[in-house]
Amino acid sequence: MMTCKEVSILVSRGEVANASMVTRIGAWMHLAMCRHCRTFRRQMALIGRAARLVGAAFEHEPSASFEDRILHHLGS
Amino acid sequence: MQAARLRWVVASGSNISLANLRARDPAALRAVVNQHARRLYRAARGMGFSSGDAEDLAQEVFATFLETIDRFEGRSEVGTWLFGILHHKAQERRRAHWREDLTDAVDEVFEGRFKADGSWREPPIQADRLVAAGQTAEALRECLAGLPDQHREVFQLRQLEELSAADVSEMIGCTINHVGVLFHRARVRLRACLEAQGWGRSR
Repeated sequence: MMTCKEVSILVSRGEVANASMVTRIGAWMHLAMCRHCRTFRRQMALIGRAARLVGAAFEHEPSASFEDRILHHLGS
Repeated sequence: MQAARLRWVVASGSNISLANLRARDPAALRAVVNQHARRLYRAARGMGFSSGDAEDLAQEVFATFLETIDRFEGRSEVGTWLFGILHHKAQERRRAHWREDLTDAVDEVFEGRFKADGSWREPPIQADRLVAAGQTAEALRECLAGLPDQHREVFQLRQLEELSAADVSEMIGCTINHVGVLFHRARVRLRACLEAQGWGRSR
């Protein structure tokens, strides 16, 4: 049985999907039973959603001619 | 080079010939710039560069991309190749070298949340008390600024650009395991910073 610490490390490293089948099943079983670890996973997901909002704001910073300036610089 | 390898899928749904790019075909260049310039800019901003520096970096990445395109064999995604160039440009600007820190003070913060048997000593705050993503984003902006450069870059590449740990490890020249360690440390730091700002407390 995986411990809360092992599961949360796996979650925060972003390694659940790429872990071995045995580890993935262990993590899923643990998450199904442990509300604290499910909460931790939701916190990680919320950080991800919030970070995407921060990123989206950055993306709109350059003016509409941003791509044209790059192409001009490239001599295209 | 075989003709088959010259056909290069830039992204699903848009095929651009590598040969056209090597020939500086304007339409092919525009397609690549349109597709990736703002992502590169966003990543540079996420890594902590100013808006002016981020614009310069994006421009430099494409210039280097064209200079080195003969070495690009189309085995990896063009986006991964471009982010690899961005990483090197960012390193040049910071005059910093990537190093693998075996220990980090934040590891103790994480360890402190668990008992010796690996169960939670301080359980995470219930999700229904967590504030919305928009409010978290405001707090997160400040927390991101406080991250060490390496943590910030790995967080940006893994979390926002959704690059695989294998791609990021190749890009920055460290092991896949270390990418996981840095991503974990970044998120532990962000979580601790958000909690220090009252994240999840009842309002």
